[in-house]
Amino acid sequence: MIKHESIETNVGLLIILSLVAMGIGGLVEIVPLFYINDTIEKVEGVRPYTPLELRGRDIYIREGCYTCHSQMVRPFRDEDLRYGHYSLAAESQYDHPFQWGSKRTGPDLARVGKKYSNEWHVQHLIAPRSVVPESIMPNYPWLLENELHYADITERMRALKKTGVPYAESPAEHAANVEKFGEAVANQLNINDAEKNLLRAAEADNFDGNPARLSEMDAMVAYLQMLGTLVDFNQYDEGYFAEFR
Amino acid sequence: MLTDAWHWLTDLGNSKIAALLIFFPLFVAIIWYVYSNKQRSQRLESYKYMPFQDDETETNDEKVSENEQSRSE
Amino acid sequence: MAGSTPVVSQQYNYAVIRKFAIMALLWGLFGMSVGVYIASELAWPWLNFDIPYITFGRFRPVHTTSVIFGFGGNALFATSYYVVQRTCQARLPSDFLASFTFYGWNAGLLLGVISYMSGITQGREYAEFEWPIDIAITVVWVAYFWLYLGTLRRRSQPHIYVANWFFMAFILATALLHIFNNLAVPTGLFSMKSYSLFSGVQDAMTQWWYGHNAVGFFLTAAFLGMMYYFVPKQAGRPVYSYRLSIIHFWALIFLYMWVGTHHLHWTAIPDWTSTLAATFSILLLMPSWGGMINGIMTLSGAWDKLRSDPIMLFLITSLSFYGMSTFEGPLMALKSVNALSHYTDWTIGHVHSGALGWVAMVSFGSFYHMIPRLYDTKLYSQKLVYAHFFLAVIGILLYIIAMWVSGIGQGIMLRAFDDFGNLQYTFVESVAFMHWPLVFRALGGALFVTGVVIMAVNIFMTIAQAKREAAAIEAKIAAKMAGAAA
Repeated sequence: MIKHESIETNVGLLIILSLVAMGIGGLVEIVPLFYINDTIEKVEGVRPYTPLELRGRDIYIREGCYTCHSQMVRPFRDEDLRYGHYSLAAESQYDHPFQWGSKRTGPDLARVGKKYSNEWHVQHLIAPRSVVPESIMPNYPWLLENELHYADITERMRALKKTGVPYAESPAEHAANVEKFGEAVANQLNINDAEKNLLRAAEADNFDGNPARLSEMDAMVAYLQMLGTLVDFNQYDEGYFAEFR
Repeated sequence: MLTDAWHWLTDLGNSKIAALLIFFPLFVAIIWYVYSNKQRSQRLESYKYMPFQDDETETNDEKVSENEQSRSE
Repeated sequence: MAGSTPVVSQQYNYAVIRKFAIMALLWGLFGMSVGVYIASELAWPWLNFDIPYITFGRFRPVHTTSVIFGFGGNALFATSYYVVQRTCQARLPSDFLASFTFYGWNAGLLLGVISYMSGITQGREYAEFEWPIDIAITVVWVAYFWLYLGTLRRRSQPHIYVANWFFMAFILATALLHIFNNLAVPTGLFSMKSYSLFSGVQDAMTQWWYGHNAVGFFLTAAFLGMMYYFVPKQAGRPVYSYRLSIIHFWALIFLYMWVGTHHLHWTAIPDWTSTLAATFSILLLMPSWGGMINGIMTLSGAWDKLRSDPIMLFLITSLSFYGMSTFEGPLMALKSVNALSHYTDWTIGHVHSGALGWVAMVSFGSFYHMIPRLYDTKLYSQKLVYAHFFLAVIGILLYIIAMWVSGIGQGIMLRAFDDFGNLQYTFVESVAFMHWPLVFRALGGALFVTGVVIMAVNIFMTIAQAKREAAAIEAKIAAKMAGAAA
């Protein structure tokens, strides 16, 4: 006869049975991760971040923006009207780490890209209450003052490549990217040209309004302006996304 | 064969029932084991005095009134 | 009593427990004060002062880490070492390793807090430590496991008491969660930047599997271990039902692991994972309330202790808050409720009714019981314990109610439509509405911190008194010896 006493008097058994009890639920939560690729929508347009956007995202994480802003629009009518189409799993497939957030002290940012001008973003980040009087967001003046540090951009992209993001280093990888994303995007994903691409993007769009300097603001605004803009939702029928859930 | 079983199990329609059939009886069995037999119940309950065995300076009767004691000291 | 001191201190390693207990109080004071500060930043944003290191985004992880791992973690080290030694009547197997866990844990936390303020973070909630600190913490945790296991193996009686089951489950689960959730690729061997191994949906599922079970095992199972020892000891009577505690333990550790996904309702995860998590969240109510009943009913037949013993008040009130927040939790895990509550202050209020009401209150109660015994003296003042208790309860209530108003209010405003089917309010109108609730929340937090300050004074005076008593006894002995010699 098995007795509970056998467990209570044997540390090894207690540990093993505890692990079993916890393990079942743990497996049920973790195993689906390996099937998750079937549930990511097949949509066109989603691509890894360009070097400048990536640096912007790093700064977004550094400043802890995720503690107040979500990046996950839910399928409700009010959120559709306020933010746009609900977020797809595909849209964050290159996000290491994910930044869905858990609290909206400020509004959702999943689709903030292209809704405001670069000038608005710069002004809003430096002094939020100068454009939205009721805002409780901190000022981020140092984004404009700090020069963007980009010496290690290739290391950053290489680390992401190890996690599975399709940044290309060899010609074969580059060719695969051309096939998958098209020539223009593939060039941006080439690690060998990372620094050149970063500088060119900052110069071309001059996000921070000061063409003479490459500031952290350039990267931050570049990142904010591409959020949620990659998928063209007019291409798809609504029922299509539901199939993946 | 094994992969078939795996696919069968990972289909939610099947695993829901399977989980219910395994875990609910297990739960009931544990409850039954713990509460059904009077002797066993008494035995199990006797272990709850364990935290009081560390008061080596106090005798059995004093254990219960330990707090009042320390306060009146 | 004084005569037994040398024996007890030889039998058990109390020195390390004292250190952990004091650090728990210091981290608590620091972390909760930071909490009040960031709460005030939300009410009065000029408090950010344009200083990068203390802006809300960087300071918030400082608050969560200091209170969860600093206050909670040190309190758990202290009480688990106390409980395991006393219920096994065995000393920790290694004094060196015990000290190592103390210095390792606190140094890791300190580095973490400094790194967050400098903007070094993994950007994943409650797992913000960058990879070198993660590795250091893992080493400390292995030492902790080894010490705990070693003490259990040296026990001088056949049975392992139920409190130790919970502590053991907490140590095992935390190790699993910490290692699996922090898998990341650093950008270089000497770089403090890494990218998490998983992305998007996978990353979210892993993170909230971790996040929820950090609550389940770190902030619940372990503190239940505390409860199973200190409530009976303080009440001077055994736990209500040992059989219930068996069911409680197995059901709780089994069910908790299933429910993390309820933090991701309505997001881009597969629907069935969401449904599963909601179902198990409801089931989880059973063991949670089983545990609460077991704790509270321990006092059955001796309810008058609540009138005469403020420490008992702390312990029983903590269980009541535990019952309340474990009822609120499954409610918020329902998809329809979650649609309104998620992303709002309601979640923050829920967390704090658990964290302040349950975790902090049960720790305070246990500390008031344990610390005088560690120093072989009496508590300095019962009146101060009462003062602490009432400040804490009023503070928590103010906090929770403010967050209900703010959270539910914002949830309703954001989904309100006018007669033409347009959105009735802009987002920033809901922000303006939240100003007063946020002010009251900060006030509630400030009251709670004031209570902790009073506790710190009380504990400080208790320790000082113990030192005086010990010195007096030594002087007496010395005088006697001198007399005998003459």
